[in-house]
Amino acid sequence: MKRYTGLIRIGGLPCKTPSPDHSAVFVCGQRHRSWLGSVLLFTLWLILFGFSSVTLANPVATPHVRAQLISEATAVQANQSFWVALHLNMRDGWHTYWRNPGDSGLATTIEWKLPAGFVASDIYWPYPEAIAMGPLVNYGYHGDVYLLVQLTPPATLKNREKLTLTADADWLVCEENCIPEQATLTLTLPVTSDAPRLDDRWKTGFIEARQALPKPNPWQASFSLTSDQLTLTLDALNFPSERLKKARFFPKQDGIIENAAAQTLTISDDQISLATTRGAQRNVPLSRLQGVLVLQEDLTGTTATQALEIDASATTAAANTPPTPFGYALILALLGGMVLNLMPCVFPVLSVKVLHFAHQAHNAPTAVRWHGVVFTTGVLVSFALIAGLLLLLRAGGAQIGWGFQLQSPFFVTTLAYLLFILGLSLSGALTLGARLMDLGSGWATRSDYMGTFATGGLATLVATPCTAPFMGTALGYALTQPWPTALAVFQALGFGFALPYLVLSFKPSLLRFLPKPGPWMARFKEFLAFPLYATAAWLIWVLSQQTGPTGVAVALTGLILIALAIWLLGTTAAVSRRWRLLGRLSAVAALISALALAQLPQAITPDSLPQTAMSNPKAGDWELFSPQRLAELRAGNQPVFVNFTAAWCITCLVNERVALSSPRVKAGLAEAGITYLKADWTNHDPAITTMLASFGRSGVPLYVLYPPAQQGTEPIVLPQILTESLVLKAIKSLENTDPS
Amino acid sequence: MFVTFNTAFSYLVLVVLAMLPHWAAAAPTVGEPAPDFTATDSEGNTQKLSDQRGSVVVLEWTNHQCPFVEKHYQTGNMQALQKDATSQDVVWWSVISSAPGKQGHVSPDQANELTASRDAAPSAVLLDSEGAIGQLYGARTTPHMYVIDPEGTLVYMGGIDDKPSTQKADVETANNYVRTALNAVQQGQAVDPATTQPYGCSVKY
Repeated sequence: MKRYTGLIRIGGLPCKTPSPDHSAVFVCGQRHRSWLGSVLLFTLWLILFGFSSVTLANPVATPHVRAQLISEATAVQANQSFWVALHLNMRDGWHTYWRNPGDSGLATTIEWKLPAGFVASDIYWPYPEAIAMGPLVNYGYHGDVYLLVQLTPPATLKNREKLTLTADADWLVCEENCIPEQATLTLTLPVTSDAPRLDDRWKTGFIEARQALPKPNPWQASFSLTSDQLTLTLDALNFPSERLKKARFFPKQDGIIENAAAQTLTISDDQISLATTRGAQRNVPLSRLQGVLVLQEDLTGTTATQALEIDASATTAAANTPPTPFGYALILALLGGMVLNLMPCVFPVLSVKVLHFAHQAHNAPTAVRWHGVVFTTGVLVSFALIAGLLLLLRAGGAQIGWGFQLQSPFFVTTLAYLLFILGLSLSGALTLGARLMDLGSGWATRSDYMGTFATGGLATLVATPCTAPFMGTALGYALTQPWPTALAVFQALGFGFALPYLVLSFKPSLLRFLPKPGPWMARFKEFLAFPLYATAAWLIWVLSQQTGPTGVAVALTGLILIALAIWLLGTTAAVSRRWRLLGRLSAVAALISALALAQLPQAITPDSLPQTAMSNPKAGDWELFSPQRLAELRAGNQPVFVNFTAAWCITCLVNERVALSSPRVKAGLAEAGITYLKADWTNHDPAITTMLASFGRSGVPLYVLYPPAQQGTEPIVLPQILTESLVLKAIKSLENTDPS
Repeated sequence: MFVTFNTAFSYLVLVVLAMLPHWAAAAPTVGEPAPDFTATDSEGNTQKLSDQRGSVVVLEWTNHQCPFVEKHYQTGNMQALQKDATSQDVVWWSVISSAPGKQGHVSPDQANELTASRDAAPSAVLLDSEGAIGQLYGARTTPHMYVIDPEGTLVYMGGIDDKPSTQKADVETANNYVRTALNAVQQGQAVDPATTQPYGCSVKY
């Protein structure tokens, strides 16, 4: 394969031929044999192109790309930065690359040849798309891309001087196979002393280009690492999960993540997080994560793609502690499980069982061993079930941790009920014949494996509220891992929990270290009721935090109803059948009412308003919206601009950053005497909902510009995605219709 | 329900086994054993990585039609590297993971022809048209280089040098990571850098 690397010179203009491919095209013309021919050609060029500012070497068509260097303005002003763009229009099905090309490929580069004193910035890259090539993933662009560059001229430029800007652009263009291509593009611009006019031809191109640039992130971003997972977290309060359709993180550096790995999006009450697998550089410490997060947000009738610039630091935990290796986490979980046995929630339930060993150990040692194994299995299965549920919920999009049950007031109330009932049974108020409540002395001699299995399950259930403070590291690790690892850690936890029991069942000789059975057992059993009552009291306190005093009153009433139910059962136990039935029915009724009451605290929410994530405005920038204020202003014949926004609306925040906070827009609003009202719909204020509905909208963003009432014109509704020029144009349109 | 000892114990064992998936093969990492594999080379011989214990092994993913690979072969850079390495008893395996019909895929005869015509000096050319070895090593580009020490530990993976381009002139001025890695292993020192960004065309799986 021959490669043509020579230069052809025509009329003093050099040009390079493109790459080592049989379909190479000469773009600068052919060599001519006679000088007459050259003169004729030169004249032809003068006629056709001589007076335009675009020379032959712009645009340049290579086999797969049409490259053009364009300038936003028609002229250059001394000391004033201006924008140029390398516009690449790729053949259908072909793509070029982003700054980080991904698994393979090469980013486009531009080498500038500029007049003295000029400074060129780095390329401002629009957000890329992920392009799959078999099992590999690249980051790049299809169709059209505008790579923006800011050029700054020196302070001294002579007027009427013509400036020649040359860009040597190199890129790799691929469909399946890749071709390196290059073009030398030249742009000539005049110098002017006034502010230059914008070039109408490229106006749309530059607007499109800027919209595709990543915007500053409105939320606090952080990331955490484990040995092979990276999780990017944005502190976004109350983000409605159905609003976000897709999210993908594109890292600036290679090797940080596996480009082809899936990225799992999780939205919780106060965070959006994206978890993915780490890449080849997973052993290298990482303190700063840079890249672009592309989000697809559902708006009314359309979807908006927003790209956010990410520059996140590691969360303190990840920065200070090394990632927990798997084995270490397992050991921690095992130890933690053993410690669980001492928790006040668990100890009473299990210690009674252990005491029964003392009886059985001498009578039926083999049975005791089986009981040990079955109990362990019961514990492991229950831990697996809860872990499985947790993982399912986590996969389904709820960011929860172990003890997630405690976030639901209903669960907290029912657990308090359960512990209360157990406490009552230990106190002797209740002799439970149910198989699940293995606390009466009647169980001591029954070799009922089902009961033991169930005890394992019960022990797990009552253990969960006590877990969090002690198992932090292991659980924190487990929840960031893929499900087999997470399940393994939970099983280790369960095994540790069941271990003392298992050991005792196999080595009953150890029981001799335990005191001999005697009357003290009954007293001890009654005493053990109190830790259970204490736990129930703690749960009521948790409920008070969640639902306030009303929730506490409701739960306490429920407890009273339970006590009533238990008394009813007890009183009618020994009398005639009819009374027994009545007793049972009333007990059941009381229990059902108690459970129904447990639902109530859920509906009560605390008064505190969540903080909005919006930037604090300067005084006088905007006012808080209210229908009264709007009516007042309109009555006063004032033009009003209303911004309907919410802290969890990405497009709203981006629009505010990009368009509404810009100095020109602020000045424009001030000059036109427009009052800027901000309607914060973060908590779904009903007055705002009604206003949105009046414009046929069910959500935010919504931008309405009300002209002065006397004009009688309709309010102007702006598009959901704003640009500076759009807002300014709308403001200007008011001026034109203003009769004064 | 009568629960036998076997059932109960097998429950326990099953649950413990649930922990095992974690120890399944993970992505190759520098400092850990390089994944073992068996391959057929262009001469029809079977080559197994673990059989090479005691020698340094270099894996070079290649695709003769890729401009980045051409850059190193047409300048003689890759051949020189291969000759220097093999003269020091390094086992150099060129691996072709292109799928049939895709760019770079060759028959054993074509592979031998290419080796001869380019004056290349690999110890063997492994034909991996299924892409199994490529996927095992996470090979993304051609060229993508891996260096394995005599104990079977992966000591380097990444690009061939620090000038990602198709410009032949860059070969002279680039810092060749493979040469650095081989020197370090010969001298018993740690390889630095151990992981770099590979550059090239994508492997045509």
